[in-house]
Amino acid sequence: MASTLTRTTTRLSPLLAALVLAGCASVAPDGLRSAVGEHTEGRLPSQATLADPSPTARAQAQQQIAAWLQQPVDADNAVRIALLNSPALEAQMAALGMQDAQRVQALTLPNPTLTLGRFVNGHEREIERQLSFGLVSLITLPWRARWQGWQMEQATLTAAQQVLLHAADTRRAWLRAVAAQQSLQTAQTMHEAAAAGGELARRMARVGNFSKLEQAQELRVQQEAAAHLARTRLNAALEREQLARLMGLWGPQAGFALPAALPPLPQAEALRGGEDAEATALRERLDLRALRRDLDTTAERHGFARVGAIFGDIGASYSRNTATERGTRHDDVTRGWELDIPLPIFDWGGAASGAARANLQRSAAQLRDTALRARSEARSHWQRYRTAYDLAQQQRSEVLPLAQFMQDEAVYRYNGMFISTWQLLAQARATAQAVATATEAQRDFWLAEVDLQLALTSTSPGATPTLATSAAPATTEQGH
Amino acid sequence: MQRRTFFTGAAAAVAATSVSRVAMAALPEPISQASADTAAPLLPPNGRPYHPVVTLNGWTTPWRMNAGVKEFHLVAEPVVREVAPGFFVNMWGYNGQSPGPTIEVVEGDRVRIFVTNRLPENTTIHWHGQRLPNGMDGVGGLNQPHIPPGKTYVYEFQARRPGTFMYHPHSDEMVQMAMGMMGLWITHPKGKHPLIADVQRDYAFLLSAYDVEPGAMTPRVNEMTDFNIWTFNSRAFPAITPLVARQNDRVRIRVGNLSMTNHPIHIHGHEFEVTGTDGGPTPKGSRWPEVTADVAVGQMRQVELIADEPGDWAFHCHKSHHTMGAMGHDVPTMIGIDHSGLVGKIQKIVPDYMLMGERGMGDMGAMQMPLPENTFPMMAGKGPFGAIEMGGMFTSFKVRQNLGAHDYRDPGWYQPPKGTTAYEWQGAPLASQAPRQTAPGKAPGAPSVRKPHTDAADHAHH
Ligand SMILES: [Cu+2]
Repeated sequence: MASTLTRTTTRLSPLLAALVLAGCASVAPDGLRSAVGEHTEGRLPSQATLADPSPTARAQAQQQIAAWLQQPVDADNAVRIALLNSPALEAQMAALGMQDAQRVQALTLPNPTLTLGRFVNGHEREIERQLSFGLVSLITLPWRARWQGWQMEQATLTAAQQVLLHAADTRRAWLRAVAAQQSLQTAQTMHEAAAAGGELARRMARVGNFSKLEQAQELRVQQEAAAHLARTRLNAALEREQLARLMGLWGPQAGFALPAALPPLPQAEALRGGEDAEATALRERLDLRALRRDLDTTAERHGFARVGAIFGDIGASYSRNTATERGTRHDDVTRGWELDIPLPIFDWGGAASGAARANLQRSAAQLRDTALRARSEARSHWQRYRTAYDLAQQQRSEVLPLAQFMQDEAVYRYNGMFISTWQLLAQARATAQAVATATEAQRDFWLAEVDLQLALTSTSPGATPTLATSAAPATTEQGH
Repeated sequence: MQRRTFFTGAAAAVAATSVSRVAMAALPEPISQASADTAAPLLPPNGRPYHPVVTLNGWTTPWRMNAGVKEFHLVAEPVVREVAPGFFVNMWGYNGQSPGPTIEVVEGDRVRIFVTNRLPENTTIHWHGQRLPNGMDGVGGLNQPHIPPGKTYVYEFQARRPGTFMYHPHSDEMVQMAMGMMGLWITHPKGKHPLIADVQRDYAFLLSAYDVEPGAMTPRVNEMTDFNIWTFNSRAFPAITPLVARQNDRVRIRVGNLSMTNHPIHIHGHEFEVTGTDGGPTPKGSRWPEVTADVAVGQMRQVELIADEPGDWAFHCHKSHHTMGAMGHDVPTMIGIDHSGLVGKIQKIVPDYMLMGERGMGDMGAMQMPLPENTFPMMAGKGPFGAIEMGGMFTSFKVRQNLGAHDYRDPGWYQPPKGTTAYEWQGAPLASQAPRQTAPGKAPGAPSVRKPHTDAADHAHH
């Protein structure tokens, strides 16, 4: 295409540079994965790579995934698998590739138009040949190439955000799945305690030590524990399913193992400080970078808008007309250039210019708005992170020891025949509930950590959820 | 645990007296007791002679003679009482202990009692059972102003009739008695009294009950019925001193009840007569022999017996829960429950779980298991043949030959003559199956349980 043009425009040498530029526009061979990778650098676990759709790479990736699935999947491996294996992410990357191709297409100059005419009158036959093309699109090619480049960078930044959000979603799903699995164990303990109490009550009623009502009261406890267990089991299955979906696993691979417990809470000294949160977010966030690019593009377009609007597309054409006298067969050839210039009589470009100005204002406002949100998110997610840590720490260092103390005291009271086996079991259930609540607090801290990372270095994690845990405060039911 | 320092304890208390001679005209120095052991009887150093009582796990306060008047000084104050080994209770008492010291006087004595209030609230003392001027009866508001904290009031009257009495507050009485404020008052007869025999041993104590949450230290003063600490003189078995007697001694036991329920006080191996109440000595014609005397709330009973059967005889309240230490009253009966397969399951959840009560609670007496702090086992005390399986209002009456007349020390376990102890049957075991009506949980001969039917044709279903 370009070569054809070169041949036909030998006399349009000033435009050569533009044509070279246009020739440079080519589709990125890796579908911009490496460009996305540059943006996600340092924001993902080491060696986390995006899927390469080539068959060899795909086979290699599957091997690597199979190797990772040999042992319990930790959070980083879950993210690595998700990036390599998630069809949703692959679809997003393919869309980015498509966008790239469209960009290249947009930068390609329109094909010249060849107009042929044959006119006959009594004595003459006229053949008209005209080769024309839009001059402006050629002249503006360098600018357009630049904007398209920026737009592509913007699209790449957006895609990188999608990758980071997918990684964050996977990490969250992993945390939820592991915590749900832990809660399931607790629910099993609680159910076993209630079942033992229920069975003991049944035996009590059988020999006449319990009335049917007293037995029923223990049976109710058992039923509630069974219902709780069923709900917890479902929740664990659903959370696990969500993780499998994000990691792109199905079939036998979906039977992956998870670690028995969430990672322990970090030491307080290792926590991220909140002082530089806003500055970090403004510096690092990809959504802000994308909007800044957008603003650049819009600003440059603003200057161009008036000219473009007034002159529209200046058409340039080369004509070679041959008039042949029928009688003499004498050819009369005329050659010449023709420029097609719209006259700015009605539209002086005011509307287009106004739209461009408004567009610029919109871009600037969007950037300011997003910066405002980024600052606010940096602050609020840091606060949530810090509070989640304090709550989890309180659970671990204060609430659980207290629950253990109460458990020990319940045993002492049982030893002294101050309380019954059922009251002891009720305390055991309360202790198990305290363990579940502590696990949830630990999970909430790590979830808050994921959101904070997003808010500081990647993109908006969405609405800030509160820290309410599903577990109601554990009450020690004193049996009868 | 048990420190039986009858004589040394009393000596220490008296030595601590050190009544300042120069201060005779002033307020008498209050004398305080630090030990919850039974003090030796206080032989009267002056005034009319009498045979002193022995206050179980208590003591008799010395006095000062002031121009022919016996002067005592009681200080109402918070104390910490060791109720059982290792079990300490925040109480209110007098002169270092709850109950306060026993006051012993002789019929006709003029008595002046200084009462200093070191409690955080008003108090008074009512002299339960005494004949005295109305203004000395100690009902706050009715007979006198309440004694404010920090103030000292003086009571003065004549001990007009011999007998067994007590003293306790009559100002916020509910709280102050729930906190252990009480004491004994013994008025000995002046010379021979036709209805009052001479005795060789004269024991006295009060019955009181507390509700202390296991692991806590202060009684719940609002409790009305569900007490878990049952005491003789604010002590629970095995911390109660035994009553000791030389064989053929005449023994008098004086019991007053300041708890909120009655206590049938029961002795083994002997029979006794009630020879007096807080109304005075009973006429001889009204006395009959028995082995249990119910002491109602607010009453005193004075019983007498001849200790003619050597041995270690149980002496206790006959309400069986009152011979138990702290225990839960909502614990269901576990007797006869098949625990097979369940203990392991429960231990998976509560590792320290131990099976208890499936054969009854007697095992508790032998078990050593960690309890909440500051509490004591439901049943404790070891005898020569094993666990005694008692707690609370229980002690023993120990009769021995060849004891010294003033020897109140615990003589140790009784050695029964050979062939006089219950023994295991060594012949052939019971051949036949024990006749049994039905399995536990089913009434004998009862039809299978039927739900009430409105349908007359329900017989078809059976
Ligand atoms: Cu009793």
